[in-house]
Amino acid sequence: MSPIPVTIVSGFLGSGKTTLLNRILNTSADMRIAVMVNDFGAVNIDSELIVSQTETMISLTNGCICCTVESDLIEQLTQLIHAPDIRPEYLIIEASGVSNPAKIVNTLRYPQFTGKLAIDSTITVVDASQFADLEGEPAQLAMDQLDIADIVLLNKADIATDAQISAFKQRWSYPGLRLYSTHYCDVPLSLILGTGHFNPDHFDEHHCAAEHDHRCSAHCHSHDHQQMFDTWYWQSQRPLSLSALRQALAELPSTIYRAKGFCQLVELPERSAIVHVVGSRHDIQPGDLWKGEAPVSRLVFIGIRGGIDQDALQHTLDGCIAAQISPIDTDTTI
Amino acid sequence: MNHSDALAASQAPSPGADLVLTNGRIYTVNDAQPWAEAVAIKAGRFIAVGSTTDIAPYINDRTQVIDLDGRFVMPGIYDMHTHPDLALAPEYAGYLDVGIEDPTPEQVKQAMLDYAANAPADAEGWVYGAYFVRYTFKQAGIVPSRAWLDSFLPDRPAAILDRSWGCMLVNSKALELAGITADTPDPRHGYIERDSITGEPTGILVDGAYALIHAAMPPTPAHALQRAYGEAVHFQSGRGVVGTKFVHVCEHRLNALKAIDQRGKLTVRVEAAISWQDDIFPVKRRWELLAGERHFYRSSRLNANAVKFHFDGTHESRSSYLSTAWPGDTRWRGHLNLTPEHITDMVVDMDRKGIRVIAHCTGDGASDIFLDAVAEARRRNGPNGVQHQCAHCTTLLDKNLSRFAELNVIAEFSPVGWYPSSFSYARAVFGEDRMQRAYNFKGVLEAGGTAVMGTDWPVSSFDPWIGFEAMVTRENPWGEEEGRFYGEPIALEQAMRVMTINGAKAMDIDDRAGSIEVDKYADLIVLDRNLFEIEPKGNIHNTKVEMTLMEGQWVWDAHGELDGTEHQAVWQRDLPCF
Repeated sequence: MSPIPVTIVSGFLGSGKTTLLNRILNTSADMRIAVMVNDFGAVNIDSELIVSQTETMISLTNGCICCTVESDLIEQLTQLIHAPDIRPEYLIIEASGVSNPAKIVNTLRYPQFTGKLAIDSTITVVDASQFADLEGEPAQLAMDQLDIADIVLLNKADIATDAQISAFKQRWSYPGLRLYSTHYCDVPLSLILGTGHFNPDHFDEHHCAAEHDHRCSAHCHSHDHQQMFDTWYWQSQRPLSLSALRQALAELPSTIYRAKGFCQLVELPERSAIVHVVGSRHDIQPGDLWKGEAPVSRLVFIGIRGGIDQDALQHTLDGCIAAQISPIDTDTTI
Repeated sequence: MNHSDALAASQAPSPGADLVLTNGRIYTVNDAQPWAEAVAIKAGRFIAVGSTTDIAPYINDRTQVIDLDGRFVMPGIYDMHTHPDLALAPEYAGYLDVGIEDPTPEQVKQAMLDYAANAPADAEGWVYGAYFVRYTFKQAGIVPSRAWLDSFLPDRPAAILDRSWGCMLVNSKALELAGITADTPDPRHGYIERDSITGEPTGILVDGAYALIHAAMPPTPAHALQRAYGEAVHFQSGRGVVGTKFVHVCEHRLNALKAIDQRGKLTVRVEAAISWQDDIFPVKRRWELLAGERHFYRSSRLNANAVKFHFDGTHESRSSYLSTAWPGDTRWRGHLNLTPEHITDMVVDMDRKGIRVIAHCTGDGASDIFLDAVAEARRRNGPNGVQHQCAHCTTLLDKNLSRFAELNVIAEFSPVGWYPSSFSYARAVFGEDRMQRAYNFKGVLEAGGTAVMGTDWPVSSFDPWIGFEAMVTRENPWGEEEGRFYGEPIALEQAMRVMTINGAKAMDIDDRAGSIEVDKYADLIVLDRNLFEIEPKGNIHNTKVEMTLMEGQWVWDAHGELDGTEHQAVWQRDLPCF
């Protein structure tokens, strides 16, 4: 069983987290989502959607569930992943307004959850007006929220003043920040949830044939918010250097929000490496053995419309190809 | 001033008393003579207890006489579970404090370099301290990693805690000394962050993984431990404590206690319990201590004839081991850190050696297994063995209440949190059914068992009087919240016994201490109020201890009544503020 993807949503009280959670829960998402909240007061579920409700869990007609985080997150996560009847396909955890979201990230990385839960994304919802003049503990919490953030949703962008937004960027920005402006958290769900719309397994079914090698690119429209995103594909039969790939992914332009796929690495000749980029964070994990398959690298990039400079990205990724070493040579040198 | 050094009596028996306290309201905790007005003390023991007239003949020209002027006196009190070293020593250890609210990576680097240049000798080259802020690294575009630390501290072990993530950043030298490699398994409740492809440690250690570094570091410096214990016994004397258990020690902690004892500043009788596990700090000389090395620390004030272990977990992490599943779960009963067989063999073995076993048991399943282990020890070693101690006793099975008396096991509770507050209700996670029988102090006492209290500082306040009040009222001492907390309160007379003679029994000295009786140690405390004449709620926790006498020696004098005399107290006037 593949790990359950997890999205963590953090932000101050009043930032718009609740709006976002409601949007997720009340939208038919074609999959069974579980949302963990501190208390049900944090969500406002359309009563027509509710199938049943207990003290700690609400079940919805769309197959989703909403449950409260009891005293111990570790124990509750353990229950959730082992209960066959409620095991969700996707998990969203709300880091309540005052709790430290970094602790939740740490917990999800505990060894007992390896292979069972995988952080897809960490979303921090920001109301720029709340970030003005922060000091002391609230400022420290803001730092923790932004530290773990893969994507920052600048919510209430319609009512924030330009001065507030520029003050926010001035004080809180960091290299690689993905700042997505929105109001009422009306954000394409495929941006914040790794829902599989851009699954590289469907690579060949899309616009790109293998023989194009690393020269293909195409536009693709996401299911929601049509034409807000561009999608671009890259592939290569030649092995990549891990350090070069890491650097390239760390320095992707901030208009690119997600990338996904697999690669062949010089450092990992026998198996593929799974690449996962969300906002400013990238992760490269060992994947399956190549076995009889010809090693290949295939990556999909999703950026805001007009935000993918294909030539520049092509150049960057081509630069990750290890210097003239064939995969067969690497087998004997490593 | 209510004393006179030279009030002679014409018919003094020979020899006269060293000290006489007269004209008081003395509650003795001796059923045969519950109240007295005066006591006579010689060579550290009570030689007479009675009316002011009864005691007058014991006064001669060398007797120190204190006129209590009607003040209330009772035996000294006992805190049977506390950890001053864990509360205080880390901050006294002289570790690096970067001292900037949101330090940049450059500021962290500079502080570490400055510390390295002036590190105390007992740090053995380690640069250890707090803190860095991950977000400022993100802003600077720097990944906090061992490579970053190695770039400026390549040769000395270095470790720095972050502010809020629950992680520690260490360099390659620290990893090497701690033996942490790609092959090191992750500890429980934490992990070693690793490169996703190579598996090599990145230098970030999370939560439980700290312990791997702490085990490699030099022990907490002696000066920090001595200061921590020294201030702790000062505070305890000032709050009327005459006997205590420092639950969890190692050879370094015992050395610190011995140093204080030899300076004559150990003003409280201390039973120190050697840690059975290395989960708080490493105990490198555990087996030597248990085999007999502990006797080198022995004095009238200090013994290390106890061992402490963590049998189950805590309510916060739902790891207390329960007799049935946790609320909301069908299978999870909590966690045992050691197998029941391990516990049984260990209790039997320690019992045979005369070593008291103090078992951390928060769940009713853990205490059940512990009591079974003691029953087995009694069966194999005979019935007259050591009194063992069940620590915390947060929930107990009703069927086990009578076994504390039957098996001669002390039931130790932490009543400091037994009043309504958001803090205590947040901890009431065992489910309504279990909470109804939680903290069943009264149940143990009514079944004839010995119940005692511990402050469990720094888990809760070091001030034993808060728990003293809470066990009588189960109400909020400050009136912050209305109502009564779970469990039955006990009567004041019963609470008096818990705080005094039961503590002495838990230290195996109730034949010599714990009540005001002829031939017992002259331990007593003079209070600013008569506990029997006040409304308990809101008025016990803030009782002022004006004077504390330990074996005939004044150890605390709140008003400096004895200043400048030959009887000057060890500690006067000010209490350490924690």
